Amino acid sequence: MSAPTAAVAAADSAAASGAEAPPVFSVDGLWKVFGPRADRVPADPALASLDAAELRARTGCTAAVRDVSFDVRKGEVFVVMGLSGSGKSTLVRCLTRLIEPTAGRIVIDGEDVRAMDKARLRELRRHRAAMVFQHFGLLPHRTVLDNVAYGLEIQGMGRAARREKAAEVVAKVGLAGMEHRRPAQLSGGQRQRVGLARALAVDPEVLLFDEPFSALDPLIRRDMQDEVARLHREEGRTMVFITHDLQEALRLGDRIALMRDGRVVQLGTPEEIVGAPADDYVRAFVQDVPREQVLTVRTAMRPASPAERTATGPTVAPGTTVSEAIETVAAAGAPARVLDEGECVGVVDAETLLHVVAGHPTPSDAADRSVAEPGTGGPVDGAAGRPADSGGGAGASTTADGSAVAGSAKAGTSASADEAGEAPAGPAASEESV
Amino acid sequence: MAALTATVRDTAAPGVFRRPAVRKLGVLLLLAALVVPFVAGRWGSGAWPGALTVDLSGPLGTASDWIVDNRDSHPLFLYFLGHVSNAVVIAVRAVYLALLAVGWAGVTAVASLTAWRVAGIRQALGTAAAFLACGLLGMWVPTMQTLALMVVAVAASVVAGALLGLAAGLSDRMHRALRPVLDTMQVLPAFAYLLPVVLVFGIGVPAAVLATVVYAAPPMARLTALGLRGADKEVLEAVESLGTTARQRLLTARIPLARKELLLGLNQTIMMALSMAVIASVIGAGGLGDRVYQALASVDVGAALAAGIPIVLLAVVLDRVTGAAGARLGDAPAPNSRALWAYALLGAVVVAAAGRLAGRLEWPESWVVGIAEPVNRAVDWMTAHLYSGVPVVGGTADWAGRFTTWVLDPLRDGLQWLPWWSVLLVVAALAWLIGTWRTALTAVLAMAAIGVLGVWGPSLDTLSQVLAAVAVTLVTGFAAGIAAARSDRVERLLRPVLDVFQTMPQFVYLIPVVALFGVGRAPAVAAAVVYALPAVVRITAQGLRQVDPAALESARSLGATGAQQLRQVQLPLARPALLLAVNQGVVLVLAVVIIGGLVGGGALGYDVVFGLAQGDLATGLVAGAAIVCLGLMLDRVTQPTGRRATKGA
Repeated sequence: MSAPTAAVAAADSAAASGAEAPPVFSVDGLWKVFGPRADRVPADPALASLDAAELRARTGCTAAVRDVSFDVRKGEVFVVMGLSGSGKSTLVRCLTRLIEPTAGRIVIDGEDVRAMDKARLRELRRHRAAMVFQHFGLLPHRTVLDNVAYGLEIQGMGRAARREKAAEVVAKVGLAGMEHRRPAQLSGGQRQRVGLARALAVDPEVLLFDEPFSALDPLIRRDMQDEVARLHREEGRTMVFITHDLQEALRLGDRIALMRDGRVVQLGTPEEIVGAPADDYVRAFVQDVPREQVLTVRTAMRPASPAERTATGPTVAPGTTVSEAIETVAAAGAPARVLDEGECVGVVDAETLLHVVAGHPTPSDAADRSVAEPGTGGPVDGAAGRPADSGGGAGASTTADGSAVAGSAKAGTSASADEAGEAPAGPAASEESV
Repeated sequence: MAALTATVRDTAAPGVFRRPAVRKLGVLLLLAALVVPFVAGRWGSGAWPGALTVDLSGPLGTASDWIVDNRDSHPLFLYFLGHVSNAVVIAVRAVYLALLAVGWAGVTAVASLTAWRVAGIRQALGTAAAFLACGLLGMWVPTMQTLALMVVAVAASVVAGALLGLAAGLSDRMHRALRPVLDTMQVLPAFAYLLPVVLVFGIGVPAAVLATVVYAAPPMARLTALGLRGADKEVLEAVESLGTTARQRLLTARIPLARKELLLGLNQTIMMALSMAVIASVIGAGGLGDRVYQALASVDVGAALAAGIPIVLLAVVLDRVTGAAGARLGDAPAPNSRALWAYALLGAVVVAAAGRLAGRLEWPESWVVGIAEPVNRAVDWMTAHLYSGVPVVGGTADWAGRFTTWVLDPLRDGLQWLPWWSVLLVVAALAWLIGTWRTALTAVLAMAAIGVLGVWGPSLDTLSQVLAAVAVTLVTGFAAGIAAARSDRVERLLRPVLDVFQTMPQFVYLIPVVALFGVGRAPAVAAAVVYALPAVVRITAQGLRQVDPAALESARSLGATGAQQLRQVQLPLARPALLLAVNQGVVLVLAVVIIGGLVGGGALGYDVVFGLAQGDLATGLVAGAAIVCLGLMLDRVTQPTGRRATKGA
């Protein structure tokens, strides 16, 4: 019974995000296999289904990226997260063919990256996608200014022009006054600012970050994360961000793809990843995350009774985090109504909020869905790129929502194949808890 | 399946046979038991059997005669080698004339101001002092001759080495092809390079320059390749991610990133070139080396020293300036560096012009301090008082004599008495124990080649000197190295000494030993020991000092005494360094033992010198080939699986 509404919601979100945010990068069925005669592995379903150890024993090959599909929408921060060896760094290098993919399709703004010739590929790297590296990758014999201007220099820009542009960017990342230092004279955080400035100087459509802050101290790392968040706020540039740090992923990501052994095991908003882990691996991964800081009241709320709908008292927005709602509820000493554009979509009280903190399943059951459901379409529009999670209720609706989340323009197509693991697992997880 | 059976056999084998060393020796023993009776019965068990030698002197003599006859007519010489030869002569001549035209003041000013800009004020003062000392010793003109030859040889070596290194750095196939060649070239004694170039170019400056280039280019090639290959992968990736073309990557990233290695290569090339330029005096290089050579030939130690000191000064200055330039690479340049360069240039021009106007281009005769006379008087006094008859300790000549009778003679006679096949077996066993069956095969083939060439006797003579010198070097070197590793004070005392000794060209070491011990095999061994010692001491001390401090600390915490720590922790953990020290010791000793042919060392070195002096190139070439084989064999026998880092000197 929820299927029609879900379909509407999906179409709705597709239309909404399709209008504002077409995919910049579209990756479909991407494989990267290292080893002898690597291309036979993706082509042969029998080999493709082997796990890493068997594959190595059988063919001597290692599959770093296995059948990965996702879209990166314009203006979003798309985080790829995974432990070392999960293939995330290989994946991001495949996007601009720093590593040549073995199979699959990569499309940037409608242009097939794998079909590009050398000159076209250089053009892509020069103007459209710039990368920031874990160990900075700065040229030690050049000053900060010349490092930042390097990308412009190889494009053939004149000395005066490129230096002027570089100086602007250097100031933007907070390094004004250090233009003439060498990388060796800078701290780690400053070096990464140079790396960031070098990528920004060429004014790319997409910024690719490969674990940019892993080599930094925790405090500096936080500064740099704020810096990236600020740049994203100010310029709205599309970013693909690789990290092994869950906190970082949750802080920065509009959406997160969680990788394991070369596959995407779950793709969704931070809230979805934490609130509805697709499998035990993801659950183990996120179990230490302070849920109240990630989950929103949209997940935590229970349906409002007719009396509560019209009651007065404290209100919160659906996007409020649970920890903020706790403050509100605690201060008022009464349940808070969740208002979405003036309409009451649910209620959070001390009990529902504590359930979230304690890690219990959120209080929703099939009977309540019909009340909660109509709200789902709305938040998608409102929260641009953060479609609501329905809280893991009935299977059908979750699946539909899942596709809407991941697939954007082509919701429900094979683009979401990598979420096949997520969609069935989501309801399974919640059913087991209901 | 194969692995399974192997394990079964392993577990079935008795305990000792599981040790690979024992297994290798067992296989070798079995092989020997099968083959030896046959070959011993067929060819006897004395020195290398005559039936297995190939007399090359005939064909080599013919080839040499053919080259001499056709040098002026054959197209190969007319259109290629002749041009090479002429170009070298013209270039050396031009540099020499330019140096003379600038005058002594001008050359000193240019050199020290350049040193000031690239290496700082201290190096500049040192450079000026060194050049003035060359003048004071009356060696200005020979110094300029050597310098002219060096400039041309170093320029050619750097270009050739950098091009080879570029090829090896960019292409894996080139790298695989070049590396063993360069590695082998680096272990060969300088003397081995002389004969082939003389064969082609005859005695003279072109041969000297080309021998120097062949000797000095490999380090440049190696280090260029190393630098290009060792570039930070992420920097290269970052540069690629910005859309560079391959050419932009090479010019803006790979080459600048390899600057340190390139400068180190330049440094090593300069030092090797100086070393060879001096040795090449025996094939007509002229200059300082020739003065030393002539003086040594007449045992005129004073004159040899007067020419030897400038060589050492030149070596130290060149090494320190290029070294300091390398160390300063990472620093940001001074903000007004261009202006300072301009001042330096201006200063040099002013000094040179002033010297020219004053008509003082040549070093004034009256400023020369003749040290030959007093030195010779001192040497005479030493000969009279220290050579023999000193109470209790005996004289230096007595030592040399005793060393010859008690160590060198028995060793040589013993080696020559050994059945030829047993020498091959020992070589095989040593090389296999330390390396793979490939290294063993190379070593045995090299040793067998010596026999085939018909120089078994002299080669074993050389080998006996090498073994004696290596033994002395290792005993003293390990002792000094351990002392330096355990005491900071000893290390501080040793460091400047080692620094200077490691920069001196091989040739120079012959001067003091001749003064002390006269001529003969013992002085050659002594020179070899002194030459190889610094490298051995340094590698040993470094190896011991780099032992994991945590391991040492845990040994201390368990209450190990100093000796226990050394024996049970430091020495075992420093084993790779010690093996490297042995290898370096052997290679360096061989180089000088061969040169010892110039001071009565006899054997292979003498054959080369004799061949050159008598124009009997066949003898010389055969001896040169034997030197190559001996070098190869000794390197393989002492070579652990990993490659050495850089040559010690």
